[in-house]
Amino acid sequence: MAALILNFWAHRMISFRNALRALLGPLVVVGALSSAHAGPYDDALIKLTTDNYADTDAGVAALVESGNPRAEAIIEALRAGTLLYGDGKLAIRGPAGVAVDATTATPLVASDAGSLKPVRVNNRVRRAVEAALGSMTLLSPDQRRRLDAAAAVLRSRDAAALPSLDKALAQEKVERVKIAMLEARAAIILNQPDSSPGDRLAAVATLGNLGNQNALALLANLPAGASPELTAAARQASETIAANLALWNAAQNVWYGISLGSVLLLAAIGLAITFGTMGVINMAHGEMVMIGAYTTFMVQEVIRNHAPGLFGASLFIALPLAFLIAGAIGIAIERLVIRFLYGRPLETLLATWGLSLILQQGVRTMFGPSNREVGTPEWMSGALQLGGLSLTYNRIAIVIFAFAVFATLLLVLRYTSLGLYMRAVTQNRRMAGSVGIRTSRIDALAFGLGSGVAGIAGVALSQIDNVSPNLGQSYIIDSFMVVVFGGVGNLWGTLVGAMTLGVANKLLEPFAGAVLGKILLLVAIILFIQRRPRGLFALKGRAAEA
Amino acid sequence: MSAPTTPTLLYLDNVTVTFDGFRALNALSLAIDHHEMRAIIGPNGAGKTTMMDVITGKAKPDDGQAVFDGSHDLTALDEATIAELGIGRKFQTPTVFEHHTVEDNILLALKADRRPFSALLSRRDKVERERIDALLERVRLNRHRHRLAAELSHGQKQWLEIGMLLAQEPKLLLVDEPAAGMTDQETADTADLLRDIAKTRAVVVVEHDMTFVRDLGVKVTCLHEGSVLAEGPLDVVSANERVIEVYLGR
Amino acid sequence: MSTIINRQAVVVLVLLALAAIVIPAMNLAAAPGSVFHLSDHLVPLFGKYLCFALLALSVDLVWGFCGILSLGHGAFFALGGYAMGMYLMRQVGSRGVYADPVLPDFMVFLNWKELPWFWEGFNHFPYALLMILAVPGALAFVFGWFAFRSRVTGVYLSIMTQAMTFALMLAFFRNDMGFGGNNGLTDFKDILGFSVQAKSTRIALFVLSVAALAAGYVLCRWVVSSKLGKVVVAIRDAESRTRFLGYHVEQYKLVVFTLSAMLAGVAGALYVPQVGIINPGEFAPANSIEAVIWVAVGGRGTLAGAILGALVVNAGKTWFTGAVPEYWLFALGGLFVLVTLFMPTGILGAADKVWKRLRSRPEDTRGELASQAAE
Repeated sequence: MAALILNFWAHRMISFRNALRALLGPLVVVGALSSAHAGPYDDALIKLTTDNYADTDAGVAALVESGNPRAEAIIEALRAGTLLYGDGKLAIRGPAGVAVDATTATPLVASDAGSLKPVRVNNRVRRAVEAALGSMTLLSPDQRRRLDAAAAVLRSRDAAALPSLDKALAQEKVERVKIAMLEARAAIILNQPDSSPGDRLAAVATLGNLGNQNALALLANLPAGASPELTAAARQASETIAANLALWNAAQNVWYGISLGSVLLLAAIGLAITFGTMGVINMAHGEMVMIGAYTTFMVQEVIRNHAPGLFGASLFIALPLAFLIAGAIGIAIERLVIRFLYGRPLETLLATWGLSLILQQGVRTMFGPSNREVGTPEWMSGALQLGGLSLTYNRIAIVIFAFAVFATLLLVLRYTSLGLYMRAVTQNRRMAGSVGIRTSRIDALAFGLGSGVAGIAGVALSQIDNVSPNLGQSYIIDSFMVVVFGGVGNLWGTLVGAMTLGVANKLLEPFAGAVLGKILLLVAIILFIQRRPRGLFALKGRAAEA
Repeated sequence: MSAPTTPTLLYLDNVTVTFDGFRALNALSLAIDHHEMRAIIGPNGAGKTTMMDVITGKAKPDDGQAVFDGSHDLTALDEATIAELGIGRKFQTPTVFEHHTVEDNILLALKADRRPFSALLSRRDKVERERIDALLERVRLNRHRHRLAAELSHGQKQWLEIGMLLAQEPKLLLVDEPAAGMTDQETADTADLLRDIAKTRAVVVVEHDMTFVRDLGVKVTCLHEGSVLAEGPLDVVSANERVIEVYLGR
Repeated sequence: MSTIINRQAVVVLVLLALAAIVIPAMNLAAAPGSVFHLSDHLVPLFGKYLCFALLALSVDLVWGFCGILSLGHGAFFALGGYAMGMYLMRQVGSRGVYADPVLPDFMVFLNWKELPWFWEGFNHFPYALLMILAVPGALAFVFGWFAFRSRVTGVYLSIMTQAMTFALMLAFFRNDMGFGGNNGLTDFKDILGFSVQAKSTRIALFVLSVAALAAGYVLCRWVVSSKLGKVVVAIRDAESRTRFLGYHVEQYKLVVFTLSAMLAGVAGALYVPQVGIINPGEFAPANSIEAVIWVAVGGRGTLAGAILGALVVNAGKTWFTGAVPEYWLFALGGLFVLVTLFMPTGILGAADKVWKRLRSRPEDTRGELASQAAE
């Protein structure tokens, strides 16, 4: 249901964009028509009406040479099979079957249209058309069209496009397009039998410098009969590229690791607060995350039904709500159950496990056992290309968000009175009590804060994970590993723990596979805990916090 | 490093312990003879408990050596091994096994094979029973032998713990504030008991209660900031300017 | 020194002996349709409860007496189960779907050509029996050796045991581990030459479960009433005191933990032929925690309480999942909360308190109470 609504919106957006393009396209052509002038252009047109492949081929080349603004529309029609000829006239059949005069774009009268036949093409002509379109649009002001054109030239590898390619390269400013053009140029040179060995070597060097997957493919498919030094150069370039790509690949994995690390950080940081401040093991922590995710779902439901315009802001509305709801449930749990169990950590563990079962089943009863669809706002979809890296916006948002939450919590703990009291209680509960801090109130608030943070973690996780009643369960063991590994009662330890585990996990994955990697990591942590039973940062605790 | 052979039972030399940059013990040196009773005094944070931790293997020094009975390097051993060597330790707050009977508390402490499978197969014999009877008699808990340790009074627990230490038959007893929380009568009795024990083994008593220390009538060591400030008979130590300044007050 | 067979033990053993007689009799002798008749599917169900009771007993030994809250005992149970499953799988022989004389079906399906080395020997029952004890025991020994030596205690240890069973679950889900992956081991044909489906086999397995539980109980009684048991309780109540008395605490914990894991392995091994399947789901952390709650409900540190708790909670589970399945997790979750809050000593602890108040004879406070929960 939710997916349907989402798809509907996506389609609306796309069809709107197409409509706009369709509206603007003809206007440009018609507007340019008035400045058309006769000359090589007319000669070229005549060649297209002779029903001879060689003439047609030459005509296409001449048309490109002419630089006439109508040329593109005509060649486009030739490719689409809608270019008609007869009586020394050229016409284009429009979408509704109405033909227009190819040179003037004015509609033809019905009698004229009757005797027209399509201009025929063979493979050679088709190649020429492809290259012609490519080289013509290489200079288009629209960046996307230039990119498409470069790709078209790359596919055709037609030497005829070389002059326009060089012209376009000279003035190209956009890096991405320039790379595509360079690829196309190198491909043409390598493919052309009569290009000089020097040019070919230069082309190989260019590809080597580009260093991407396309270049690697081009180098791997050198035409037969390449000279030994060319082959050697190509092999060397390939190796450089492969090494380069491996480096990017590793960087990409590190990024995935950081991204996983921030997810772990979000899930574990609330746990670090409750565990660190109160020594309370909260097995229901994962369910707080799950409740945050369901809050997001409910917020989006309301928005879809009542204020679709607000969809982009849904996450910002969900954040404070999730914090409050999860925080309130946390405080309720603390007041009703946990406070009777202080000093009995094992019992607390069991009781909160029971609570987690109740919360899971409660959500299952209310929302059903299946996954709920939480939508991603437009501004969070898509990806950022950074060299060989592809960073999706939602992951970037989560990484930034995790660090923001971390920084905020650090500030809260350091500069607010709640933070001061919490630190006092962490270090010496009895002393804090005797200087007048109401420790039980601080416990409740600290528990609420930890749970609230879990709630907002749920908002973030709803963007990358399935929102189901089991959401929390899948994070609880990992979160505990982070806290135990990082050291209890220290947010910096949690940060380092989360990032280490995240990156290690993703770096292990390519070698060991996802499951085995995770197992290896669990075993590594179990062994690590033997060495440092109180975690990475336990001893420096006070120093790092101060 | 081979430990030097010394006539002393316990020999601490230049022991330094730091926690998080804080020097709990600062080049502490101390020697206890066989059959000596020593009282350790000093203000809070002087390092008394840390010193006991080092001797019993709970804390590992950063520097210095701790040698027991001439040849055992205490810094390399764990608590259980040190206890088996013959060092018994009484905690500040009485620590007994509350869910065991008084009798079983003593039984567990009796010098015997400590390995798990020996424990699994051990049966109580006549010698053990007589030892238990004697010990209960000595710490005056014979009437309570079938009660759970949890039901004992504070003073009785202190005595039970001392009884457990005696059952271990240690060469050296470390006793942390035995008089804390006791009535005057109990305090005096405890002093008597300790003096009696010191006839056959070495005893180190950490105590704040100056009356109690005076009752013991033994050589006193005053610790301050992790090192020995003064050492000698109580009258000499308590006349020391620095001791008065940091500990006794003017 | 308390005796191995005390009053509680007599009650437990008599009840178990009765069960071993009455339940088969009700199934075999009573005419179908009479109120005393027990239908065929209930026999393995009760057998399953008994296996859970043995698992609970093993949890009680480490938690109730030694203070080690293991959230990973399900792993030992499952390993014992897999060892039995492997034996049963090898017994299938060429009667499998693919009729391979040696390879189990799932290996043929995965296109494996030969038996992995760790499957060798499982066609011999004594070898399988050895593995049922050795594999969980070895895992517990290695894990415990690391954990206890470096003094990982309390909740840290609990979380580590949970991570252990979680890691094993992930591992057993993998097909290339060679344990049937997701589906586990199933479609067993016979055990020691008797069909696992046969009524007589099921009754034999039930009686065997009773016997195993009784033997396990007596073994636990022997351990906890020995001096070793007293040391273990001492460790639970005052670990450093015990250490300063000269006991190597880690050795004691290791002995008890390993023994307990072996008991859990036996429970798993008896469980598998009665339910007819073992899969990686048995490693799920939730299963291990559920076993802990059985012990808490019955009363930890009492042994009999563990058995009682396992039977009561599982009977409740059977009823709930049949009558009102959607409320079972509410009930189980509520049980966790209520027991920890209001009944920390469980049913037996509460009953004991009432009994004492009624009689209030001071010398009775020794035996049973000594083993009662500490915190």
